[in-house]
Amino acid sequence: MSGMQISIRVLIVPAVLLAFGCGGGGDGDADTGGAAAADAVQVDEATAGRVVGTVSFEGQPPAPQPINMSEEPTCAEKHEGQPMNPVAVVGADGGLKNVYVHVKEGLPQGSWPAPSEAAVLDQDGCVYIPHVVGVQVGQTLEIKNSDGLLHNINAKPSEQRGFNVSQPTNMTTERTFSQPEVMIPVECDVHGWMEAYIGVSEHPYFVVTGEDGSFEIANLPPGDYVIEAWHEEYGTQTQNVTVPASGEARAEFSYSASMAGAFVPLGEPIDPHGRHALAAGGH
Amino acid sequence: MATTSAHATAAAEPHHEPSFVRKYIFSTDHKVIGIQFLFMSLFFLLIGGLLAGVIRWQLGWPTNPDMPLPGGGLLPETMVNQGIVLPEFYNSAVTMHGTIMIFFAIMPLLVGVYANYLIPLQIGAPDMAFPKLNMASFWTAAPAGVIMLAGFFVAGGHSGAGWTQYPPLSANPEFSGVYMGQQLWLISMIVLGFSSLMGAVNYVTTVINMRAPGMTWFRLPLATWALFVTAVLILLAVPVLTGALILLLFDQTIGTTFFSPEYGGEPLLWQHLFWFFGHPEVYILILPAMGFVSEIIAAGSRKPIFGYHAMVLAIIAIAFLGWGVWGHHMFQSGMNPTLGMGFMATTMVIAVPSAIKVFNWLATMWRGDLHFHTPMLHAVAFVGMFVIGGLSGVFVASTPVDIFLHDTYFVVAHIHYVLFGGSLFALYAAITFWYPKMFGRMMNPLLGKLHFWLTVLFFNLTFFPMHNLGIAGMMRRIYDPNQYEFLRPMQELNTMISIAALLLIGTQLIFAFNFFWSLFRGEPAPANPWRANSLEWAAPSPPPHGNFARTPVVYRGPYEYSSPLSVEDYLPQDDPPAEGPEPVPAPATSH
Repeated sequence: MSGMQISIRVLIVPAVLLAFGCGGGGDGDADTGGAAAADAVQVDEATAGRVVGTVSFEGQPPAPQPINMSEEPTCAEKHEGQPMNPVAVVGADGGLKNVYVHVKEGLPQGSWPAPSEAAVLDQDGCVYIPHVVGVQVGQTLEIKNSDGLLHNINAKPSEQRGFNVSQPTNMTTERTFSQPEVMIPVECDVHGWMEAYIGVSEHPYFVVTGEDGSFEIANLPPGDYVIEAWHEEYGTQTQNVTVPASGEARAEFSYSASMAGAFVPLGEPIDPHGRHALAAGGH
Repeated sequence: MATTSAHATAAAEPHHEPSFVRKYIFSTDHKVIGIQFLFMSLFFLLIGGLLAGVIRWQLGWPTNPDMPLPGGGLLPETMVNQGIVLPEFYNSAVTMHGTIMIFFAIMPLLVGVYANYLIPLQIGAPDMAFPKLNMASFWTAAPAGVIMLAGFFVAGGHSGAGWTQYPPLSANPEFSGVYMGQQLWLISMIVLGFSSLMGAVNYVTTVINMRAPGMTWFRLPLATWALFVTAVLILLAVPVLTGALILLLFDQTIGTTFFSPEYGGEPLLWQHLFWFFGHPEVYILILPAMGFVSEIIAAGSRKPIFGYHAMVLAIIAIAFLGWGVWGHHMFQSGMNPTLGMGFMATTMVIAVPSAIKVFNWLATMWRGDLHFHTPMLHAVAFVGMFVIGGLSGVFVASTPVDIFLHDTYFVVAHIHYVLFGGSLFALYAAITFWYPKMFGRMMNPLLGKLHFWLTVLFFNLTFFPMHNLGIAGMMRRIYDPNQYEFLRPMQELNTMISIAALLLIGTQLIFAFNFFWSLFRGEPAPANPWRANSLEWAAPSPPPHGNFARTPVVYRGPYEYSSPLSVEDYLPQDDPPAEGPEPVPAPATSH
């Protein structure tokens, strides 16, 4: 009898643990509070410096690809003219938009408390706005549906648990990430053209370039850093900079059309002048 | 001159008092195990009903922020967000409603509860042939239920591939976004299959080997006959499903491709294996119900069952023919039309033994001394609802018609007329009929009748209009019909159905209240409150451990109502003729 009771417990206990220990009914909920409980880094604002720069695009930018949005007239009506694929958006001065720039190495050891303010990823006109968004580990990402029709947000990270959640009408879904990851692709399985990227950093030193390609990473402690730029089509580049006390360091990145299709593992630097572009047959 | 026999074999044999754990938790007593299955199944019936409420709320007011799901705030945001049921949770709710109702509510209610409780009592045995195997059967089913429920709590949510789990949706997590939930579904079903097999081996062995003296095959009550044949079906059908489940689990976990076409696998193989189990499963879910109803209609009509031998042969014929009809679920799978014609013909043939049973029930009631107590009301409703479900089955069994109706709400209406109108009404009949025997108290008849009439009303208001939805082209398992312009005119009907369905769910609270209230406050039940003939009514209510003080001797069939040999209108099976032999002492029981 006792042997049978033990064997039954062997069956039941894992099931109960599974039921109540795996967290919260669905995907994504476990992605909270993953930051190590190390001491928070204190930055002396009196000596803090910054990194500024520009991401530029050399040569003729590729022609934007039109999106056939005829199946969703509600969304199509939100766009002035033909909706276009936002890949490689180059400004009038040659600046490249939607490049995620962050401090890759050089920061002091310690934890960086997540801001209480949420980052926002909206779905408006059946496109993601912004196309690239950065969040800090533990920071809330608000995913909004402003279209009032069915979208699903299928996030496919490689370093942590992904999620695939639907929004059948106007609503907001909140998610957090437990691990730094550059980058997490996001897709909508209902609308195949919808793509976005989420950069997750363990610290607050990241930025996404705007229309003019410029960026600024402020409030950095003085020191030597590796700055990395990532673009969804043209890969990553890194630069070493030295930030003086209360001073400024510059980092200039340059991409060109010949880098498109180059196979460069994320995190590895690529040649900004395209010498190894297409060397490995595309991605 | 015969007399009632309740007192003749009723005295409980004294036994040593087992511990609480041995008596109520790890019990080998078939009655306790039956009651354990009863409480487990009723719990799952509640869960399945709540999931039905989620489904109907979404279909009644699809994606409407002004009509948030009641209680939705208690659910995680991955299921219900701002009061709106999310599509992935809707898929899970549809899948788990079907899975839970079929495998964890109706099937264990019919077989786990009543095969356990009734078979030894009706054949005059002290217990099952293998009491410990019987206990293992329950204690395998319960963890299977826990594993199944665990799927709601894991990342990615529960399986959303439908209760039929067609691959490649069920085989490849990439397609569904469901990982562990899908695997838990498969593991739970494999474990539950072992439980079913352990139970079925026991039922078959017990009926063959442990019948009381005089209990010949054609003196068996029809409930026992139906449960015996059902157990044979389980023994033959469940291993097919279990094998298919293991292959699907391999596809999910270790990269095999039995059902993945891109590597040479065959999704249709799953459909063949599933339905080769699945259609006998339909008869597993209806044959015991037919057996219970036969008992209750005969007792409620105070007449012998009409055509006892024909009823037995019809049970066997349905079970036999049930093996040759699985292809009628696959008319739209690309099957050779000639083969489809064959499956259509075999399916039509099954209507013959089914009709024999229906006409025999009607003939039994014809000019009977009808007593419309609560069990009888449910049993009569079973006959009516089963006829509607059977006739709609003829529609979808016809290949040309099925092209139009396949996977529409017409099929949803059909299966609910069979499984709710049929199986569940029969179960309400059975629960209210054998409740006094199980718990020694009567259920409240007024509440019982109120529950019956409201259930009949709301059941038909819920499910009959679904035929219209199906004919209008509304797809089963659809999340939001309003996304299709041609279905928008059906929204008012959908809303009406949802209101009726919610009232139907609410009505079941009356039954739940009556069930639990009567456990403590019900009138004490006599041994034979329905004045019925089969052997379970010869034992006290509730029967003691070992059931009978002396092994009963059977002298006649179980349906001798209004017999000229008796001054009363019933003649128990063990009531000896005036010159009958003395009862045989009971053998010692080891538990």
